[in-house]
Amino acid sequence: MTVPVPGIRVAGDTNVGKVRTTNEDSMIVDSLRGLYVVLDGMGGANAGDVASQTARDAIRDFVVQRRQTMEPKALLEAAIQHGSASVYKAAQASRERHGMGTTVVGCLVIDAKRAVVAHVGDSRAYLLRNGRIQTLTRDHTIVEELVDRGLLSPDEAERHPYKNVLSRNLGAKPEARVDVVEVEIKPGDRLLLCSDGLYGYASAEAIQYLLGSGDEPQHVARDLIDLALRGGGGDNVTTIVIEAPQVAPSSTQVVRTSGAIAWWQRRDRFLHVAKERGLTRNPICRGLAPEEALDLIARSLCQAIFHDLEKSTGVNVWTFAQTVAGGWFERSGEWAPLRGLMDILAMSARTVVDEIRMADPALGFLLDVAVSRALVVAELAIGGLLAERLRQIDGNLIQLHTAMQETIDVDGAGEEALEALDSGAQFLDRPTVPFLRPDRPVSNPGVSAELIAGIEKTLTVARARTAQRAELVKQILTALEQIATDSSGNFASAVLAAREIYGVRPVDDTGVMPLFDALDQARIITAASVHQVTMPDAMRAKVLRAISGAHQRLVGATTGLVLEAVAPYSERLKEAQQQTAELRDRVAKAEHKRADLERKYASTIDQSSPWDKRGNTEW
Amino acid sequence: MSTAPSVARAYDTLRTKILQRLLDMRATLDPSLGRIDEANARAQIGAVLDHIGNFIATGDLGLHRAFLHTFLAMRAAEAQDPAAVLAMLIAIGDTAAQVAQEEGAGTTEGAELTLLLTRVTASTARAVNDLIAEEMERRMAQWSELSKRERTGMDPS
Repeated sequence: MTVPVPGIRVAGDTNVGKVRTTNEDSMIVDSLRGLYVVLDGMGGANAGDVASQTARDAIRDFVVQRRQTMEPKALLEAAIQHGSASVYKAAQASRERHGMGTTVVGCLVIDAKRAVVAHVGDSRAYLLRNGRIQTLTRDHTIVEELVDRGLLSPDEAERHPYKNVLSRNLGAKPEARVDVVEVEIKPGDRLLLCSDGLYGYASAEAIQYLLGSGDEPQHVARDLIDLALRGGGGDNVTTIVIEAPQVAPSSTQVVRTSGAIAWWQRRDRFLHVAKERGLTRNPICRGLAPEEALDLIARSLCQAIFHDLEKSTGVNVWTFAQTVAGGWFERSGEWAPLRGLMDILAMSARTVVDEIRMADPALGFLLDVAVSRALVVAELAIGGLLAERLRQIDGNLIQLHTAMQETIDVDGAGEEALEALDSGAQFLDRPTVPFLRPDRPVSNPGVSAELIAGIEKTLTVARARTAQRAELVKQILTALEQIATDSSGNFASAVLAAREIYGVRPVDDTGVMPLFDALDQARIITAASVHQVTMPDAMRAKVLRAISGAHQRLVGATTGLVLEAVAPYSERLKEAQQQTAELRDRVAKAEHKRADLERKYASTIDQSSPWDKRGNTEW
Repeated sequence: MSTAPSVARAYDTLRTKILQRLLDMRATLDPSLGRIDEANARAQIGAVLDHIGNFIATGDLGLHRAFLHTFLAMRAAEAQDPAAVLAMLIAIGDTAAQVAQEEGAGTTEGAELTLLLTRVTASTARAVNDLIAEEMERRMAQWSELSKRERTGMDPS
């Protein structure tokens, strides 16, 4: 039996992502029963969302009905089993939904010290303790099972083309194999339940950073989703953050409460110090009465810092800095007064913080760090404005320079220099035959006869699957066979194959890109073909590893060839830039000469020319 | 701002952890760092961390400014916006302070180092803005000079 746990804080959020049109994730956040679940549905024709919602409703109903009579661990496992049976039944009832399924990760909080976590598929549960996260679940994927059996290393699994193929889900069968663990909870721990749309698009370190930030669970749940969206947002993403009750307040909470209050209580002192340091005499405050200047500038910053301390954000200080600096720059103000003003404000803030430190060292230290960060935010906002201004000035400079260039009439010497530039071939048009040293050693685990047979069979299937016209892909598949079965232990076979495939082609989008597209297609076809050949799983993994290694060497060698092909043109580009600079100088001199001549002979120009005064011809 | 050797040593001890954290988070810290390979990212971030170590040990503002000047120039040559460079430097400083806070929780040395790294970040932000402003003033002067030349060159009077 579970009861609501006092002090526990939970929040969940979900987002469709940037690529999908339907959100197939579902969740349960039921604090009354301590039940929290994330489900990630799958299956075409809108069935993924049906699967996850069907399982969600079944799990919730089961827990509601049976929680008084079952032990938590058995209750959660049975609820998930019930969810699987419900999805299976729904899938069988409709042909369109046949094959639909869902992953699930659920947490049932028993009391302030214990919780049960269960999962099926690749939705995950993480535990954050003392600032570090650890995974509580192991993904039920084919690749993960190969790792368990020692057939793949974790690194290889991470790069494996089938790393997302599930070995278990809810709905494929009426019964699901559920992994259940009981977790001990300590004060301040945080649990995170999420779908693969989070960890597939955000690093573990970044997740740890946000989960350990000390922010409210609802902010963390939302920030984690934003993180996944910034990382590409290629999938639906769902997060639930569960925070165990705290024993002692965290430093963030201290700053938000006592720190913010201590700062605000000293606002008059801040204004006084700012005035003493000459804020009212700063050119930015010109035209304002001293009290008005203090109120508009110093009090506004003091208030902005207070609100940012209270909410652990930087948005108020950012807005303050942008308003003051933006207004000053719009009035064409110079940098020095703004720097002076910011320095006065920063020093006043430091004086106030030092005084708080004298009275309460612990609080003063936390406030010192927080206020210093607020001042960094102000500089960051001003930096953005400065960079924007710099871009505008650059734009004006280019415009002015272009206008001047257009008025220049190139004399004979200039034409000569232009011809010298033109005589060089257009470097993108020229085909190239580059050279690359082939004797770079590579590590080679040795190639057995069985492995060679596996590689050959796989690539034969791959070639058969390749479209007839895709000659380049077929050529790459043949090269992969040569490289993967080569036991010489150096880079030679990859380089020779790359050189043969590269042939003679221009270094541009029409020459090089089709080559890399074909390399990518060859990789996809090979990864699919390896599963069509009958062989033991261990050998299949070895074959895939050998072909994948060969592919990496071939791509590396091809990239080397492209770099070598480009190198001479890079040198020529530098020469051309130098010639252009010289030419510009000569043109400028010629322009001056022409202007001098015009001035000198202006009075002797024949007025009887066949143009009228407006420049129109009479003919 | 030269500091006690113990704090400088504490920073050196944490340097590897800070670098690893930054490498793991580089895509979320800064898009341009996320795009480059690990070796290059390691070199760029490592250079900043080394310099922070020197600044903590010596407190030499002149050297600090010179390093930032070079760093900004190099990133400008890679077509990076100065605002993005500023954001990246601040993110590196913030992460270093965060690691110091986590690793030194409850110790005086950890607290000192956290505060010091936050202040180094503040000095960095201030110095970078000064450098951008100086560059801006140089280009404005260039623009005025060019405008003057255009006027005198085009006007026959």
